Amino acid sequence: MHSPSPTRDPLAGKLPVSLITGFLGSGKTTLLKRLLRDPGMNRAAVIINEFGEVGIDHELVASSSEQTTLLANGCLCCSVRTDLQETLRELFIRRRAGEVIDFDRVFVETTGLADPAPVLHTLQTDGMLGAQYRLDCVVTLVDAVNGLRNLDDAPEAAKQAAVADRIVITKGDIAAPGAVESIEARLEEMNPYAARTVAVNGEVEVAFLRDIGPRSARAAAGELERWLAPSGEGHPEGAYLGRRARAGGHDAAIKSFCLWFDQPFTWDGFSAAVQLLTSLRGPDLLRVKGLVNVTGERGPVLVQGAQHVFHPPVTLEAWAGNDRRSRIVFITRNVAQEAIEAVFAAVGALSAQSA
Amino acid sequence: MASTLPGIGARPDQTLALNMKLLSHHELQGFGGIGEGMGMQLARDGRRILWLAHESAPKNFTAVDVTDPRSPRVVVQTELPHAKVRSNSLDVVGDVLAVAYQTSAVNTRPAGFDLFDISTPEKPKLISHFDASGPHSRGVHAVWFVDGEYVHMASGAADFQPTHPSDDQFYRIIDVRRPSKPEEVGRWWMPGTRVGDSAPPPPRHPQFDSGFRAHNTNVFPQRPDRAYVGYISGGAVILDIADKSRPKAVAHWRYSPPYTGFTHTVLPLLTRDLLIVSDECVYNDGKDWPKLVWVVDARVEGNPVPISTFPMPPVGAFAREGGRFGAHNLHENLPVPGSWKSEEIIVGTFFGGGVRAFDVANPYQPQEIAYFVPPAPRLSRAGAIQLNDVYIDDRRLVYTVDRFAGGLYVLEMTV
Repeated sequence: MHSPSPTRDPLAGKLPVSLITGFLGSGKTTLLKRLLRDPGMNRAAVIINEFGEVGIDHELVASSSEQTTLLANGCLCCSVRTDLQETLRELFIRRRAGEVIDFDRVFVETTGLADPAPVLHTLQTDGMLGAQYRLDCVVTLVDAVNGLRNLDDAPEAAKQAAVADRIVITKGDIAAPGAVESIEARLEEMNPYAARTVAVNGEVEVAFLRDIGPRSARAAAGELERWLAPSGEGHPEGAYLGRRARAGGHDAAIKSFCLWFDQPFTWDGFSAAVQLLTSLRGPDLLRVKGLVNVTGERGPVLVQGAQHVFHPPVTLEAWAGNDRRSRIVFITRNVAQEAIEAVFAAVGALSAQSA
Repeated sequence: MASTLPGIGARPDQTLALNMKLLSHHELQGFGGIGEGMGMQLARDGRRILWLAHESAPKNFTAVDVTDPRSPRVVVQTELPHAKVRSNSLDVVGDVLAVAYQTSAVNTRPAGFDLFDISTPEKPKLISHFDASGPHSRGVHAVWFVDGEYVHMASGAADFQPTHPSDDQFYRIIDVRRPSKPEEVGRWWMPGTRVGDSAPPPPRHPQFDSGFRAHNTNVFPQRPDRAYVGYISGGAVILDIADKSRPKAVAHWRYSPPYTGFTHTVLPLLTRDLLIVSDECVYNDGKDWPKLVWVVDARVEGNPVPISTFPMPPVGAFAREGGRFGAHNLHENLPVPGSWKSEEIIVGTFFGGGVRAFDVANPYQPQEIAYFVPPAPRLSRAGAIQLNDVYIDDRRLVYTVDRFAGGLYVLEMTV
């Protein structure tokens, strides 16, 4: 048992929210049905919509009405920012009043056309939601039949894959031979930091999608690794390694890379760099997540953001191992790794001078 | 989702939980009505014994071995001599247990407190009895005993004639350094509440008059010259007790009316210059709502300024379930080994609202971070849970008790 802390753990105790996203027809409803029938999910709350899809059918809602809340407001993507916010607030208030079950996690299904970033912003900027909920993960479904074309043609589809923590490839069983391999290669290029799995007849290991984000300021190394680099990227030597953008193939606008920094940051220096980045290229920083070594903090500082909005930083209790370098994953659109490195270098040089 | 209909409210048969997990529940051999006395003994043989004062007769106190929080076990349960006395309050220092006795009528005995030697928890041995009975006294409602030297208490006395019968229990300091011979060394009462005072009797609360009398009388070794006293209708009082024989009021914060009275606990957060002040709900069905927990800025001791209240659970959902609903006891950071201490997380009981934890890191915006509302205990006359008191041990385990029937609930706080 840990020595009892007299303060609140900034992560433990917040209800995890998972965002289920994916282009039209990618199988989100099927996946949700599968998830909800898992015995470990019997206290999940689900926020869904029925726009343009089969929807969570009445059979499912009826059979598990104690567990689900149907958001029958049509297009989530049109009004997601206020409606989802209100729904999450009201769910918590009703939970507190005993009007709904004591749900222990929330799944939010977005519409196929939704840009997931505003939903992430909702969790980051609403104070009440931030006090009660935390983002656990973004799960993106990509179907093996149409997925490749959608990634090329639909900016929303590409963005959904880019911000994912987990990618589920669906419809592999009805796709042309080689389709799964092609889409895997493409996704590896766009977002190698998302772990991928291939659903077979809509079946996915529930554990693959659950408990992804750090759940405690005392998170163990494995838990952080599972969140930050689940595809098993090792610890490269030296700074500025981990370049993952592939040469050749598509002229992909979306790039993913991990920056490593040997020297600790001052918090002022780090936040200045991030502020500069977000003010210059906010819309193109699709997802940023990392562990930062900040001078004077007892453990790594967990940061994550989407576009111009960042979660409040959380200092973890302790470093898990000897490697105390900062590592930050960037998933960007039309922003080269060198450009981001240059910003950090410039801010670092300035703060070194002023120190 | 976005319905405009009022909520249908919690059902008394359901459990509500956020970041608190039930480890065990013990009905205390059918006598599951517990008052507001909870103390932990770290016994010499390594056991953790939780001592509980019963809400009313026939039982006096019960000791529960909670060494294994998943399997609590009663080690002793004692009887009161008759039904016109209740113990309600107790405290433990080392191997000494102090138990209050309050009577339902004046001129009744025992009224006062007992000291027991509990070095063998199974066999509490009476060391002494301090008599506080009298023609106008109902004895002792609450004791505070944390240093092994003094019992601070809300008590009547044989020589004290109140100007109003409800004002009989005032603040008394009893020296127990010779445990076999406790002696009063000081007292304080609100001016005007004793016959013969030069001050006029205080005006009564027009609707909710529960008396101008002491409830919790907290003194911390870190600040030995101060007593923090909830004075029921009289609000919150800070006393200078540097000279125990002459306590002097240095701060007095009154907020009822307009509020509905019954200041219960004044818990200082000494490193933060804050006071956490809890009310007690004493009426059923929300009649005296709101009964709150207040955060008070005490940087200027003589001018306490309330800056926020704990966000309360929805009154519409809980108040009409049965019994009381509103603030009551807090975990008081008891300055004894075995007790958890936090100046950022404050945990309290709210009768039908269960046990609730609040983060006061930002004192202007306390946040509720955990709660547990058990279902109505079997045979409870209230029809809903009525959590009465809470104690947190240094393993961060939360012990909470029902007022009528539910007994002891042991919880893990996961936040």
